[in-house]
Amino acid sequence: MSDPADGRRGSVEPGPDRELEAIRAARRAPGPVQRKGFGPVAWFDVRRRGAGHLAFSLNRITGLGLVFYLYLHLAVLSMLLGGESAWSSFLRVATLPAFLGLDVLLILGLLVHGLNGLRLALVGSGYAPDRQKALYWSLMVFGAILLLGAAIHIVGSE
Amino acid sequence: MVATPRATGRDEAPTGSRSRTWRWTAVSGVALLALVTVHMVANHFVVEQVGGLRTYRQVLEYIGNPVIFPIESVFLIVVTVHSMLGLRSVLLDFGLSATTKRLLDRGLVGLGVITVAYGFVLIGVLASRA
Amino acid sequence: MTVAETAGAQDRTGAGNGSTLRSMRVFRFKRGDASAHYDSFDVPAGRPTTVFDALRWIQLHRDPSLALRHSCLHASCGTCGLRVNGREALACVTRLGDLAGTVTVEPLANLPVLNDLVVDMEPFVERFASPHPILRASESLPQATSPEGVDAYERFEDCIECGLCLSACPVAATDDTYVGPAALAYAQRLLEESRGADRESILAWADADNAAWRCHAAFECTEACPSNVRPAERIMALRRELRGRQGSPT
Repeated sequence: MSDPADGRRGSVEPGPDRELEAIRAARRAPGPVQRKGFGPVAWFDVRRRGAGHLAFSLNRITGLGLVFYLYLHLAVLSMLLGGESAWSSFLRVATLPAFLGLDVLLILGLLVHGLNGLRLALVGSGYAPDRQKALYWSLMVFGAILLLGAAIHIVGSE
Repeated sequence: MVATPRATGRDEAPTGSRSRTWRWTAVSGVALLALVTVHMVANHFVVEQVGGLRTYRQVLEYIGNPVIFPIESVFLIVVTVHSMLGLRSVLLDFGLSATTKRLLDRGLVGLGVITVAYGFVLIGVLASRA
Repeated sequence: MTVAETAGAQDRTGAGNGSTLRSMRVFRFKRGDASAHYDSFDVPAGRPTTVFDALRWIQLHRDPSLALRHSCLHASCGTCGLRVNGREALACVTRLGDLAGTVTVEPLANLPVLNDLVVDMEPFVERFASPHPILRASESLPQATSPEGVDAYERFEDCIECGLCLSACPVAATDDTYVGPAALAYAQRLLEESRGADRESILAWADADNAAWRCHAAFECTEACPSNVRPAERIMALRRELRGRQGSPT
């Protein structure tokens, strides 16, 4: 007994249809992966995100900033090799109000990174992970107080 | 039940080394809390000058101090280790292949060594002028 | 149920029966399209109208080609996970009334889109330690033991494998090799109550740069989880186990 499908196959099967194959191939291909932004933008987009994400973003920004500062600092300190006059020229610029402001920014970065790092060391070791939000905000408040004191001292020394 | 998570390449560091890497980052970070505090207080909050910034003579006096020199040396090493580990952690988040990770590790070790070496040259020369 | 009966049932749930028109912006993509786009719809909404109700209304009354996944409609299957106004949520229990302005609906992030709001969950499942028991012995077996302290006991079965945690994770946003919060939480749960699973192989699996040590404690997975798994806390607990583990050459 012949298979009815054979007849149907014989009557409907055309030659290769490249356009149809291309459409089928496109539909089989993996679809786009939706991301929250291009590349590392997702690390820094804290809109509608929790305190933990804010902490992560700020830690990353301050960390990268401090790495940049490390090399900037070594470069600046290299001026000491040029002797007293070279360093004095630098100090004339470094004691300008704008630069003192940058010092305050540096202290802000150190406090944010350092205090959140303390939270990460504790929580990441498995201690009090369910209290991480309270720990984060407490440390940031403490840091803000320290920053205020430092800023008053630095800016007030003019 | 040996598990194989999806990965672009399984790196071959000995078992336990990833926890050691994290531990070194955490330990160096906690150590820096103390070291950075000492460094910042000494260089911004002690001297009676604008911004607490030291003059040339004051810097030499500071770095030539037999107590300060080792503290600043340890600070240099620890901050460089923490920076390199932190950079590594950020770059690993891009999902690197095993080969790229190995190159990254070597590159960061090299950069760290150069940084510490230059820092020691700097403070060594300054201490010798004190 | 005919389309008309379904539409009628839809209206009785609140969609189409409300006093307000809510503006919705829905992600659209069919494989083969050059790029994705958003379609806007005005959906009649009442107090009980959920995002799922609204999407279903769109399917029935405006655009039958809109693709979305759903099953239980009461937050126990995890099938309808998507992003609402940028935040991960289960569509079936997210009310439009709790959202202000235009409601933007997108598929989960960090997973390939198959069709509109439907993502390919295979990369999510593949991240789990393999092989892993899909069917677990019943908790009523006499030899099953609970961890010490009933208060601390949490069933892994809380995890409905919805994928919201992976979508919310900022590390998974850039690293497709990261195994993700669900798989790590699962591994920690196996350590807590192994039921014959090999502890050492679980720990070896978790002790990798793309596993437990890739997490940066953003805790977005815990924020997103609709089922109280608290994956971030479990990852930290897993790390505590790993720290105590002696390294040995492989």
